[in-house]
Amino acid sequence: MITLTINGKEVKLEKSVTVLEAARSAGIKIPTLCYHEQLEKYGGCRLCLVEVEKMPRLQTACTLMAADGMVVRTETEQIAEVRRGILEFLLINHPLDCPYCDKAGECDLQDLVEKYGPAKGRFREKKRRVPESLEDPVIVRNMERCIMCTRCVRMCEGRQGASAIAVINRGGHSHIEPFSGGKFDCEYCGNCVSVCPVGAIMSRLHRHSYRPWQVKEQYETVCPYCGVGCTLIAQVRDDVIKRVIPKLGSAVNNGMLCSRGRFGYEFTGSKDRLSSPLIRKNGVLTEATWEEAIRYVADKFTQIKSSYGSTALAGIASLRCTNEDNYLFQKFMRAVLGTNNIDSAARTGFAGAQAFIENIFGQGATANIISGLSNADTIMVAGGDPTTVNPILGLQIRACSRRGGNVLSIGSYEGLRNFNPVKLLPARFSDTVLLEAIVTALKAVRGLNGSNRALEEKIADITVSSAEAEKRTGVSEKDLDGFVKLLSGAETFSMVIGKDIVQSSGSSYKLLLLSAINYLANGRIYLLSERANEQGSIDMGCLPDMLPGCRPVSMPEFRNKYESVWRAEIPELPGRNIFEIFEAAESGDIKALYVMGENPACNLPDSNRIASVLEKLDFLVVQDIFMTETAKHADVVLPSLAWAEKDGTYTNMERRIQRVRKAVQREGMSDWKITAEIAKNMGYDMSYSKAEDVFHEIARVSPLHRDLTYQDIENGENIYPYKGEPLRHMREEIAAVRSDTSAEEGRFYLGIERPLFHSGTLSTHAPAMLNIYPRPVVRLSARHAGTAGIKDGDIVRVTSGRGTLELPAVISNDSEMSSAMICNNFDGRNSFRLAGTVLDPVTKAPCLDQTEITIEKVKS
Amino acid sequence: MEKILLKNIENPNSADINEYRKAGGYASLEKALGMEPQQIIEEVKKAGLRGRGGAGFPVAMKWTFASGDPKFPKYLLCNADEGEPGTFKDRPILEKNPHLLIEGMVISGHALKAEYGYIYLRGEYPEAKHILNKAIKQAYDANLLGDNILGKGIKFELAVHQGAGAYICGEETALIESLEGDKGQPRIKPPFPVNVGVFSKPTIVNNVETLSNLPYIIEAGGEAYAKIGTPDCPGPKIFCISGHVEKPGVYELPMGTMLCDIIFKHCGGIKGSKKLKAVIPGGISTPVLPADKLECSMDFVNMPKHGSMLGSGAVIVMDETVCMVKVCHRALKFFEHESCGKCTPCREGTGWLRAILERIENGKGTDGDIDLMLAVAGNMIGKTFCPLGDGAASVVQNFIKHFRPEFEDHIREKKCTVTG
Repeated sequence: MITLTINGKEVKLEKSVTVLEAARSAGIKIPTLCYHEQLEKYGGCRLCLVEVEKMPRLQTACTLMAADGMVVRTETEQIAEVRRGILEFLLINHPLDCPYCDKAGECDLQDLVEKYGPAKGRFREKKRRVPESLEDPVIVRNMERCIMCTRCVRMCEGRQGASAIAVINRGGHSHIEPFSGGKFDCEYCGNCVSVCPVGAIMSRLHRHSYRPWQVKEQYETVCPYCGVGCTLIAQVRDDVIKRVIPKLGSAVNNGMLCSRGRFGYEFTGSKDRLSSPLIRKNGVLTEATWEEAIRYVADKFTQIKSSYGSTALAGIASLRCTNEDNYLFQKFMRAVLGTNNIDSAARTGFAGAQAFIENIFGQGATANIISGLSNADTIMVAGGDPTTVNPILGLQIRACSRRGGNVLSIGSYEGLRNFNPVKLLPARFSDTVLLEAIVTALKAVRGLNGSNRALEEKIADITVSSAEAEKRTGVSEKDLDGFVKLLSGAETFSMVIGKDIVQSSGSSYKLLLLSAINYLANGRIYLLSERANEQGSIDMGCLPDMLPGCRPVSMPEFRNKYESVWRAEIPELPGRNIFEIFEAAESGDIKALYVMGENPACNLPDSNRIASVLEKLDFLVVQDIFMTETAKHADVVLPSLAWAEKDGTYTNMERRIQRVRKAVQREGMSDWKITAEIAKNMGYDMSYSKAEDVFHEIARVSPLHRDLTYQDIENGENIYPYKGEPLRHMREEIAAVRSDTSAEEGRFYLGIERPLFHSGTLSTHAPAMLNIYPRPVVRLSARHAGTAGIKDGDIVRVTSGRGTLELPAVISNDSEMSSAMICNNFDGRNSFRLAGTVLDPVTKAPCLDQTEITIEKVKS
Repeated sequence: MEKILLKNIENPNSADINEYRKAGGYASLEKALGMEPQQIIEEVKKAGLRGRGGAGFPVAMKWTFASGDPKFPKYLLCNADEGEPGTFKDRPILEKNPHLLIEGMVISGHALKAEYGYIYLRGEYPEAKHILNKAIKQAYDANLLGDNILGKGIKFELAVHQGAGAYICGEETALIESLEGDKGQPRIKPPFPVNVGVFSKPTIVNNVETLSNLPYIIEAGGEAYAKIGTPDCPGPKIFCISGHVEKPGVYELPMGTMLCDIIFKHCGGIKGSKKLKAVIPGGISTPVLPADKLECSMDFVNMPKHGSMLGSGAVIVMDETVCMVKVCHRALKFFEHESCGKCTPCREGTGWLRAILERIENGKGTDGDIDLMLAVAGNMIGKTFCPLGDGAASVVQNFIKHFRPEFEDHIREKKCTVTG
């Protein structure tokens, strides 16, 4: 116990902290500028100088560790004089442009000068002038306002790990500059914006559009983009989100955001938003009233159900809609339309992979705390760059490396490049052999302990020597042995699995091998998720074989319980999955499709074919916020409210249920409300006055969410399995199918780029994200481009057996020689148009690595 | 006094290992390798050796802190970033007697159980870099460096790292930052380098001259060494005298030689028939002394009693033709240029002081300017991150303290009254 005296007040400390922290804990405020609780100590601004008895010099409270018996004074006349002096120094070169500066009103420097002075200036020379920089799409830099606290640099380097900016030059000529020159050209996370205490680095999005004190309301909510589910605060003026900021201390992201989360919010205010229901009349989508549209949909569903039976109807749920939306949607499909033909795009990877892993390790195996990842001593990454797919999770891997942990990767990931990854780079289609060799070697070191017999039986069968692996994968025995040595030495191990493995040939067998490695290294699995409520859609039962709470529909004891609450019969047989739905629609077995917040014509592989199948349907209802490629084929389009316009909950990839809060008012209905209205018109009573009522029902019916309330999840700290329980002892035999696909000389393949700056097609409606990443491109290796005579910026035609795309080429030295990368984020110009639909027989995920393409130059 | 540090440097080949050995070089190393590390530290303690970089910190104490730290490896850094204006005392060792330094470093490395050494060399000493590298290679070839020195199973690796010309890198933590490849800026202390230094390992930073004392201490013993100089500050000291004296240059004299003696006895007095006006006794950061205050013993303990400091022992002598405003302005230009920019008072204060001095120099000073300078300097002193800012502010304070009328004349006459 340390006891010290600050301003005459006795302060007791459990452990040694700085005098500044000790003072704050006692409610004594010491002014600071360079100090930030998230950053390393710096001691540069000198504002926190305090008097300490028995110490001859003044001491900076932010760097001095509190010691027993210390007597500190923070607010004497001498100290006030010192602070006045420091502030005067800061002001001699600081422009007094507060009336014009967006920071005014929340500027630390302004507040301190207000408190301490100086009242007038004694500096007669010219101030330093640095022109404002608008080089960057989302950030504006005004370096003459910079006070050199270096919080931005310490954030960029020490927390974000981007190391994009630094202090350039020396002394009074110091300024913050990106290494790349004039432009930041960085990850655009904007975390530098968060920590800048003055108006030197600011967001361009709200430039000169409001004053901080004009923000009347702010709402704590969850990011709409990826499966990490960062807490963010939406600040609103006149029903427009003016700014999104992070929250210090929040459980998932603790004050950090990525570029999508911070700058991607403007899609809600897009002029492209759908506003009126549309009904196709004489082949043209025509505006209609809500009553008319709902009535029409209800009648058509009723009619098709009675003519063709329930199995002729199907629904596709949304990975972006709330749990409440998804719950009611599947309830509608089952209880009102009477079919289990419900699925979502989670089927394209996440759902099948999770089911596979849970079958081995039990339900909830992937529900692991993201912030805990940095505490691992060893992390293995396979199948995607976590820093682009789930950026805030990626930061945890960087933090692990910074703390001395080992980062191992199968494949090379740009976002981890500066974090000493130990990489194995197997030749195309040889990762299976490599993983087999790792399992073989690891098994020999760590042994089997008998705790998971089903898995151990599989592991026992795996034998590939390092020598054989070297021959077949190109990875040297030495590298492999080094990799396995690190794995076998791991005490706290975590594995991060991305889509590139989940959506590859033989993915179920690879997942088995990854599970085996994880088992042998006694680790945790993190399954990357690209959508905000992908996990939630699964947990809400938007699956053909599972009811809410992940209970199998085929088991009568569960089915009966739901039937009694829903007062309806649920079909016993599992329904069709999303791919089977489209097959059945193609063959005419499915006549009507109800799509909520999903765009299969973009998000399913072979999307040209999907679009043509949509045309074949008798009746297609699309509920969305934008006129998607899918909606263009609809018979009825129902505009719904977007994130930030409605209440509800999301479940993130660690299965944390968090509140999504309405921040702005917009006319229209939430998805669940629209669904409920259709149900009512079909004679099924769905009376909920608000999203919370729906959540009450979820908590009543789902054993996993038992008795959960909005109050319980208020702070986002309710961890899986909440108050309920996962389903145990439901294991089926582990089935996995090995793929023997092999690469052939001269063949060229499509790769799916998963950019940091886009998430699905949603972010392409956010102007800021488009400013950073404006259009789809084809990324080619310099070697391939050279042999094909393609130069950077040339328009090239990419052709596969499924379709063609004409896009500009971007030549990069990092790209793999045998593939071209195209992202799937631009509706209508998406890479899935080229991809085929070979599915893994077990996980049912598409094998996206098999798409052969040709590339030719169209014009320079 | 026999020369210890600058021994033999008149020999044009003094930097060569054979010449050095002929004159008895590396005998101390052999002796030291037969001693226990703790014994060497004891000898240094008996010798009363103080760091020659400017602060005069007792070397044995610093060494004890470092050798008591359980972390390994330990690093020994030689601070050869001789950047204090007026200072050129290390240069003759580096260029003429490099093996003395190398021998001193190997002995120190053994005493500290440090197996790695770096010489952090001033960017503006390209010739010294060449000479040092050659000498290090000779030492490796002679098995005086490496992993089994003289077959005694003792390891010491040594390399030269050249700075990029920043004055602040003479500050030991900034030196460490720079050596690690970062921008040269001082670090927060504690932790001190002796516990967490370069690459987060225990690190001892000693000046060139300091380390060069080691061979003699081992050879003659700590007690004999302590008899040179003053009881508080024993040993030889290299003084470098520049400015208006008849014989400027480098002088190895006992610590505690009187300042007036250095100027008038050793350097032949003031050049020509001019009158002495002022002396800066230990490099530009040390307080200026007027001509009538030179009866002081040049050592770390006595100089503060006379209102100045020994600093690096760089004596800058100025005669009556020198304008004190101009000197002060020139000094502040230097400090403004060299301020690293980390802390507010130094970054902004040095520039502001320079600006005021500049306008006084240019005949645009106003009545309140002297008090304004004192106020600005007062807002810097004791508030900066490292001593650079304190040094800059104290230069202004001391020039005004001793030569205020000259500043007033400048402002009133709107021109220099000394040089016309």
